[in-house]
Amino acid sequence: MSPLQLNRRVVMSAVGVAAAAGLVFACQTTRPKTTNLAAGDVASKVYIAPGQYDEFYSFLSGGFSGQIAVYGLPSGRLLKVIPVFSQNPENGYGYNDESKEMLQTTFGSVPWDDSHHPELSQTDGIPDGRWLFINANNTPRVARIDLTRFETDEILQIPNAAGGHASPFTTPNTKYIVSATRFSVPIGAKRDVPIASYKENFKGTLSFITADQPGKMDIAFQILMPGYNYDLGHAGKGPSEGWFFFTSYNSEEAYTKLEVNASQNDKDYVAAVNYKKAEECVASGKAKPMPATYYHNYTDPKSRIATAEKKTSVKVIDPRDCEGVVYYLPTPKSPHGVDVDPTGEYIVAGGKLATVIPVHSFTKLTKAIEAKQFDSTIDGIPVLKYDAILAGEVQKPGLGPLHTEFDGRGNAYTSMFISSEVVKWKLGTWEVLDRMPVYYSIGHLMIPGGDSKKPWGKYLLAMNKITKDRYLPTGPEMAQSAQLIDISGDKMKMLLDFPTIGEPHYAQAIPASIIKERSLKFHNLAENGNPHAVRAESETSISRTGKTVHVGMVAIRSHFAPDNIEGVQVGDTVKFHVTNIEQDWDILHGFAVLGANTSELILQPGETRTLTWVPKEEGIYPFYCTDFCSALHQEMSGYIRVSPAGSAVALVANISPKARAQMTGGAAASATKGSK
Amino acid sequence: MTKLSRTLLAAASVLLLGAFVLPLWRIDLLAPQYPEGLGMLIRINTVTGIKPNDLANINGLNHYIGMKPIEPDAIPELRIMPWVVGGLAAFGLLAAALGARKLLYGWLGGFVTLAIVGLIDFWRWEYDYGHNIDFEHAIIKVPGMTYQPPLIGTKQLLNFTAASWPALGTVCLGVAFALGVAALVVARRRGANVKRASVAMAVAVAACAPPGPQAIADKGRSCDYCRMTISDERFGGQLITRKGKVYAFDAIECLASYYLQNGVAGDGSSLWVADFANPGHWVEAKDALFVRDDAHQSPMGLNLVAFSPDADKAAIGQAQGTTMRWQVVLALVQNQHGTSPDHPEAPGVAR
Repeated sequence: MSPLQLNRRVVMSAVGVAAAAGLVFACQTTRPKTTNLAAGDVASKVYIAPGQYDEFYSFLSGGFSGQIAVYGLPSGRLLKVIPVFSQNPENGYGYNDESKEMLQTTFGSVPWDDSHHPELSQTDGIPDGRWLFINANNTPRVARIDLTRFETDEILQIPNAAGGHASPFTTPNTKYIVSATRFSVPIGAKRDVPIASYKENFKGTLSFITADQPGKMDIAFQILMPGYNYDLGHAGKGPSEGWFFFTSYNSEEAYTKLEVNASQNDKDYVAAVNYKKAEECVASGKAKPMPATYYHNYTDPKSRIATAEKKTSVKVIDPRDCEGVVYYLPTPKSPHGVDVDPTGEYIVAGGKLATVIPVHSFTKLTKAIEAKQFDSTIDGIPVLKYDAILAGEVQKPGLGPLHTEFDGRGNAYTSMFISSEVVKWKLGTWEVLDRMPVYYSIGHLMIPGGDSKKPWGKYLLAMNKITKDRYLPTGPEMAQSAQLIDISGDKMKMLLDFPTIGEPHYAQAIPASIIKERSLKFHNLAENGNPHAVRAESETSISRTGKTVHVGMVAIRSHFAPDNIEGVQVGDTVKFHVTNIEQDWDILHGFAVLGANTSELILQPGETRTLTWVPKEEGIYPFYCTDFCSALHQEMSGYIRVSPAGSAVALVANISPKARAQMTGGAAASATKGSK
Repeated sequence: MTKLSRTLLAAASVLLLGAFVLPLWRIDLLAPQYPEGLGMLIRINTVTGIKPNDLANINGLNHYIGMKPIEPDAIPELRIMPWVVGGLAAFGLLAAALGARKLLYGWLGGFVTLAIVGLIDFWRWEYDYGHNIDFEHAIIKVPGMTYQPPLIGTKQLLNFTAASWPALGTVCLGVAFALGVAALVVARRRGANVKRASVAMAVAVAACAPPGPQAIADKGRSCDYCRMTISDERFGGQLITRKGKVYAFDAIECLASYYLQNGVAGDGSSLWVADFANPGHWVEAKDALFVRDDAHQSPMGLNLVAFSPDADKAAIGQAQGTTMRWQVVLALVQNQHGTSPDHPEAPGVAR
């Protein structure tokens, strides 16, 4: 044995003895536990114990479901689906008499839409949790959701528009939300034109919508733009407050095979709108009223009945008449998202086909405007010089940059669709700091408050477009996938996958504490303003007006009153006005009738809803409560007798004697005879 | 040519026909969005997807970058190749029947020429697809980017990693060529006997066998069983699958545990252990001699070291313990570890 070998053996023995305790059982026990601990560490970050609450409410758009899904973060638990642009048989939204006018448009009732971007109302640039707005892309509309009730209260149709995509982003005090056209179309009286006359006849519009007063959403003004596709937008804040930025693509003005023909130019434009200037233009009469029909639908909070109001005119600003309202910022290439950092200085555009992420500087932008550093002018809109406004470019960020949000600590996070990752980079130095692969093909990402002045930069939610093998398979059509990432440290950490409804295009989130305490538990029956409300069992009623039968019904554990109705005839229209007279938290009732050609009603405590039913055949029809309410829920049912048209069976119901006594007129007289 | 030589050539010629049923080349396109895989197979007379619609999907993706669609009907070589390979097989059979050594030379010469021409032509097509980009209509344009897939090996093409490797058909061709060489060896030596031919065949087969063991204690690689970083290769082991995928282990007992759990016998995998006396050398587990010697503190604590069967007795003698064979090691590990509920979940072996 050489001295070297001896030496080696001695050293190895020493190391061995020292490490023995840790190593001998390493294969058997130590390692697996460590592994579990590591997994447990991540699990504990998203684990909300039974009965405990999540830290954030998050609102994910439903995309082609037309709705909004509310999830708790970090658990990823689904809390509620809020119906907005699509009828929702689950609770009767858009089916019952009270809510169906919400879906009214100039095209008639549109019972579905493609909801894209939730946007929380803001105060001083910070989400305040009063309302949530969301846009409809297919038939351009914007909606207001009240966050004490998580219900859609107001929908405004956008005229002179198609593809309401760049919407409904808010200004820092929710004075305006916006809607810009993804599809340019002919505007005004002459709309029957050849498609090939695109360049001549097709226009885009940027709509500014007053939003700070419920029930009063209206189009303050529209700006008439060249016929590009306006894709997304964000308001300036801090120093850039008063400005709004919209991306556009298809500056080629292609009208066929857009995937190729609209991808030719190396740069398209971000439109920078000085909306204070626009207000001045409107005030000085430079905005021209244009005939345009559109609907404003509003649910009065007292009656909880939606009414649809048709509007006929809109104010339109042509940038040629109003200098300084709009500038174009050249931006590579087919930009999608445009996001303003919390300081308001940097305007980040995600050129989905670009190889860099360009960042514009608001300071430079204002200087370039003062110095008139223009390349050209398009339809009265000066095009600024790219180099004059550029703050920097993030080099080699990945492939397919789309959207950027901020953590409030000087970092930006950009979603990369093609390379399927989230890339963290530093504002100012533009260096890439970290990358996190996401599964698969991310669209939007969201940090709570990440588009505002004050991000709550703890989590990042990646909303992915492709699911494939992430969950147990469910056939060809699968839920889309969201992934929660911890961004509190230097390196991003993947925490959780959870499936979503529809296709979440974007989301907003806010600390639960801001909304939780304001959440309504039930409606005060005394304040129920529905004209058909029945506040007590003694007020139930039945009456006939021609071929329409009105039933004033109550629902309370565990019965309906009345629950026996006779004298309805084939061909009658029966209106069941059902009031849930419970005044107790989370005691809802449902109401469904055999063969009804509409959805059930779901009745919140203290609420009145109306189901319209046209019986087509004689017979006995049961109705029952669909929302399990009580121990005798199964007993909560009743019968309606339907007789042939012209039958002599009198209209009667087992309404209370007091109600009978109070009823007057022929219908009431027949109603008091009692059942035959 | 001897009878054996003619038999070998005939076998080689028949083996060429394998190229008619097995793909010649395989190009995998790896990207996060394709967990299920995406790729194509180049066959003797066509190009197909690995899965039924892969080719159409690849062409769909390629339109974004302005690459022209891959249309097998537009590649004349795919119509010629069956005749070329078929002709080579027929010629080989003829040469075997006639037993003329010159024909065997001709066959081998033709084979080499066709192989070189074929590979150059394949590269030329890849070059054409990768460089002949319709920039006017391309949607995604990355300055300076071309999309030529590699002939052999891997290459990053935007978000895809393209991996191009010979497939079983080409392995058949390679073995056929090796048999042809063997036939030549046998034919050249009149006194050639079966043993010599066997050696030649063994060489030929070995040429097609999966790659041998490799160094594993590099770049902080971790054990595929216990996940510890492999710092000292001398105690290590590795499992090489039929396809050549290498699983590395920091200790012989980890290799044994993995083997016991995953039961990879009979699928062509091979198990290797480090020759303790001869660093950098690997011995097949079934041949190795194992010594359990507490003076050698192996990372996992069973203190097993392995030696080559023809290792010098003195070297083994330095190890102070009884020598044992692989089956005994497996039994030992089974007793020590096999019933423990705390096993880490080792990934299954790709088959």
